[in-house]
Amino acid sequence: MAMWLSRILDRPVWDAQGERIGRCVDVLVAETEKALPPLRALAVEREKRETLLVSAADVAWLTPSIILKVTKPIPYIPKGDELYLRRQVLDRQIVDTEGRRVVRVNDLQIIRPNGHYCLAAVDVGSLGLARRLGAERIVERVATRLGRPVPGVVIPWRDVAPVESGAPIRLRISRDRLSHLHPADIANIVSELDYPAGQALLSSLDTSVVADAMQEIEPALQASVLENLGPDRAADVVEEMDPDEAADLLATLEPNDREEILDRMEEEDAQEVQKLLAHPPDTAGGIMTTEYTTIHRGLTAGQALEALRHSEEAREDETMYYVYVIDDEGHLEGVITLRDLVMADPETPIDRLISARPISVKLTTPQEEVARLVAKYDLLAVPVVDEENVLHGIVTVDDAIDAIIPTAWKKRLPRFF
Amino acid sequence: MRWRTRLGLIGQRIFMFLAILGPGLITSSADNDAPGIATYSMAGSVFGFRFLWVILWITFGEVVASEMAARMGTVTGKGFSDLVREEYGVRETLLIMLGLMLANFGTTAAQFAGIAAASELLGVSRYIAVPIAAAAVWFLVLRGSYRYVEKVLLALASYAICYIASAILVKPDWGDIARNFIIPTFSRDRQYLIALLATVGTTITPWGCAYMQATVADKGVRKEEYGYTRLDVSVGAVIGNIVSAFIVIATAATLYKAGIAVDSAEEAARALAPLAGPWAELLFAIGLLGASLLAASVLPLSTTYAVCEAFGWERGINRSHREAPIFYNLYTAQIVLSTILVLIPGLPLFPLMWLSQVANSVLLPFVLLLMLKLANNPRIMGDWRNGRISNTLATILAILVSAATVTMFFFGT
Repeated sequence: MAMWLSRILDRPVWDAQGERIGRCVDVLVAETEKALPPLRALAVEREKRETLLVSAADVAWLTPSIILKVTKPIPYIPKGDELYLRRQVLDRQIVDTEGRRVVRVNDLQIIRPNGHYCLAAVDVGSLGLARRLGAERIVERVATRLGRPVPGVVIPWRDVAPVESGAPIRLRISRDRLSHLHPADIANIVSELDYPAGQALLSSLDTSVVADAMQEIEPALQASVLENLGPDRAADVVEEMDPDEAADLLATLEPNDREEILDRMEEEDAQEVQKLLAHPPDTAGGIMTTEYTTIHRGLTAGQALEALRHSEEAREDETMYYVYVIDDEGHLEGVITLRDLVMADPETPIDRLISARPISVKLTTPQEEVARLVAKYDLLAVPVVDEENVLHGIVTVDDAIDAIIPTAWKKRLPRFF
Repeated sequence: MRWRTRLGLIGQRIFMFLAILGPGLITSSADNDAPGIATYSMAGSVFGFRFLWVILWITFGEVVASEMAARMGTVTGKGFSDLVREEYGVRETLLIMLGLMLANFGTTAAQFAGIAAASELLGVSRYIAVPIAAAAVWFLVLRGSYRYVEKVLLALASYAICYIASAILVKPDWGDIARNFIIPTFSRDRQYLIALLATVGTTITPWGCAYMQATVADKGVRKEEYGYTRLDVSVGAVIGNIVSAFIVIATAATLYKAGIAVDSAEEAARALAPLAGPWAELLFAIGLLGASLLAASVLPLSTTYAVCEAFGWERGINRSHREAPIFYNLYTAQIVLSTILVLIPGLPLFPLMWLSQVANSVLLPFVLLLMLKLANNPRIMGDWRNGRISNTLATILAILVSAATVTMFFFGT
C-alpha cells in the first residue's frame, strides 16, 4: 500500500509501550541512485526542540500511526549520504527526465514492498497539492461530480533528477540521466530552472554535453552561464563547441573575460576562434565555420574517399555535405558533393566530378547576401574565400538562415501562421 | 596610470552599469502607475507642497524594501513565491498567492481604467483604445523576447518626462518646494492621513517587491555584480519618486493655488488646461497613458509567473498553449477580464479597486515580514544576510506599514 510523506510529517511518534516520544519532522532515505531508495531514519522532534534520528529498522508502522518496535531507540548516526525528504526534496524543483520538464514536488510516495519502507515516486500533480491542503477528498469528489477526474501526476523516482544545488549527492546521480537528453532539452531545462540550480546542473555534466547544450541556449543566457563556469572549465566548453558558435559567444563577452578564456584554450582551437573573431559578425567571415573538408587534385574517387577516412579535418567536420578541392596554396579549385564521390566509380578521377568555378562568397560579403545565394542555388553550404581565392571557411545553410531569421523567431514561426 | 586606460576603465564601469540597469528602473517606474498618479494628483491638489516631505521619506522605505528583494533574487536566483513555497510549504503559499492574485488583478484593472481615461483625454474612445492596448500588451509579452520587452518597457518609462515637463511648464516657486521637501508638516486631518497611507500603498507594493526579486533572479545577476544591481535599485527608486514629486508639484502649483481639489488623474488633467494651458493637459494625459501601459504589461505577467512557479505548473513564454495551459489561461484571463471590467458600462469598477487596495495593504505587512525572515535566514542567504541597518530600517518600515493598515481599517473611508 502506498503512503504519502504529507501524511507522515508532523504526526506523533509512539514507542512500543504506547508512549509518545515526539513528532516526526523529516524522513531520511539513502542509496538515492536506486529506483526504490530505502528509508534510513526518521527525524523526530522531542521536547525542547531537540531532534532525535530514529533508525528505520526500529519503525514498526508509518501509517495510520507512526509506531516504533522499541521503547528506547538508539540514535541513528548519519553517514553523510542521506537525503532529507522534507528539507531537500519536498516543495523543491526537480527535473522530470521522461517528460523533459521542470516540476515542483508536491508530495512523495513511500511504499513497503517486502517489509522495508522505500521511497517510490514523486507527486507533481494537483491532487498532491490538494492532499497537502487536506482537501484531497473534496477535490476528488467535486471533480468526479463534474465528470472530469483530476489526473494524478506521479513520476517514479527513477525518472526524476533533483537539481537543488544544496544536495550535491543527488547531482552525481542526476548527471547520467540528464546526459542522455537531447541538448535542446537540456538547454530548455536549464533556462526553466532557478539560476543557481541551472548552474549547478551544468557544472555537473560532462564538458561535451555542456558544449552541445550551450549551442542551444539563447545568447543572452550563454554568456552568463559561461562566466559562472569559471575560466578553466569555460575554456574546455568553448573548445568543444563549433568554432563559429564559440566565436559568436566569445564576441559577446567583456574583452578581459574573453582573453582569459582564450589563454586557457588549446593553441589550435584558440587560433581558429580568434581568426573568426576578427571578422565583423554580420559578414560571411563572421558567421562561417572553420570545420570543413578538403582534398587535393589528381586523386581518383576511391583514393579521395580513402584519404577522407584518414583525414583529421574530415573527422571533425560534423556536417560534410561537400568536399572542397584546393591546390597546395589553399586556393579553392572546385567542390564535389559527398554523394557524387560515394556514388562514382572508384577509378574515376575527381577532376571529372568537380564543379569548377563553384559558388563562393568573400570574407566581407554581408550575411544577407550569403543567405540569398544559399537560397537561390539551393546550397547546403557555401565556401568563403579571400581576395586571392584562398579558402577560409564555409557557411552552412542553418547559419546562413539564422542571419536573416533569428533562432527565437525561427522556432516560433509555426505559431504565427 | 595613463589617462586613456583610466578613461577606458571608467567607460567599462559605465557599460557594466548600463547592462545591468533595468529591473530597478522598470519596477519603480511601474510603481507610479495609474492609481499612483491619481493619488499624487489628489495629494498635490488638496495639500499643495506640504505633501512633498512624505515623498522624500518614502524613497528610503522603497530603497530598503527593493534592495532586500533584489539581494534575495541575486543570492538565491529564486523568486519570492519560490522561496515562500520552499521554506513555508503549500498552505502559506496558497494564502499569499491568493492575496497576490486578488490584489494584482484589481491593480491591473486599474491600469486599463487609466488607459481608458488617458485615451479619452486624447480624444480616442475607450472602446477603441482599451482593446487595442490589451491586444498589444498580450502580444508583446507573450510573443516578444525578454530583451525586446525590456527595451519597450524602458521606453514606456520615459513617460516620466511628461510629468517633469508639465511641472516645469507651470513655473512653480522652487524655493517653496525645497523648503517643503525638507521640513515635515503634520496634520491630524483625516484626509491627510488617508492620503499618506495611500501614498505608502502605491509606492511600496507586494507585487513591486515580488517583481523586483523575480526579474533580478531571471537576469542571473551574479553576486560579484550585485553592487551594480543595488545601485540600479536605489537610482530607480530615487528617479521614480522624483517623478512622483513632480506630479505633486505640477498639481500643487496650479490646482491647489486655484483651490480646485481633484481625486483622479483625468480630473487633474482636465483642470490643468484652463490654468496652465492645453499643453499641460496633453502632457498629463500622455504620461498617464505611458504609466498605465507600463504597469499593465508588467503586472499580469509577473502575477502569472509567481503563481505558476509556486505551484510547479508549466510556465514560460517558450512553451505552447498545450504545454502550459494554466500559464496562458491565467495570463489571458487577467487581461481579458480587466478589459471587460473597464468597458462594460455600469460595472462596479470602484468597489473592485477598493478591494484590491485593501488586499494590497493587508498583504504588504505579511510580505515584508516574510521577506525579513527569509533575508535573515543563514541557510538561504549565507553571508548575504541582512545587516543590522537593513533589519532596523525594514522593521521600522514593516511596523509603519502594519500600523497604517490597521489605521486604515479603523478610521479609513
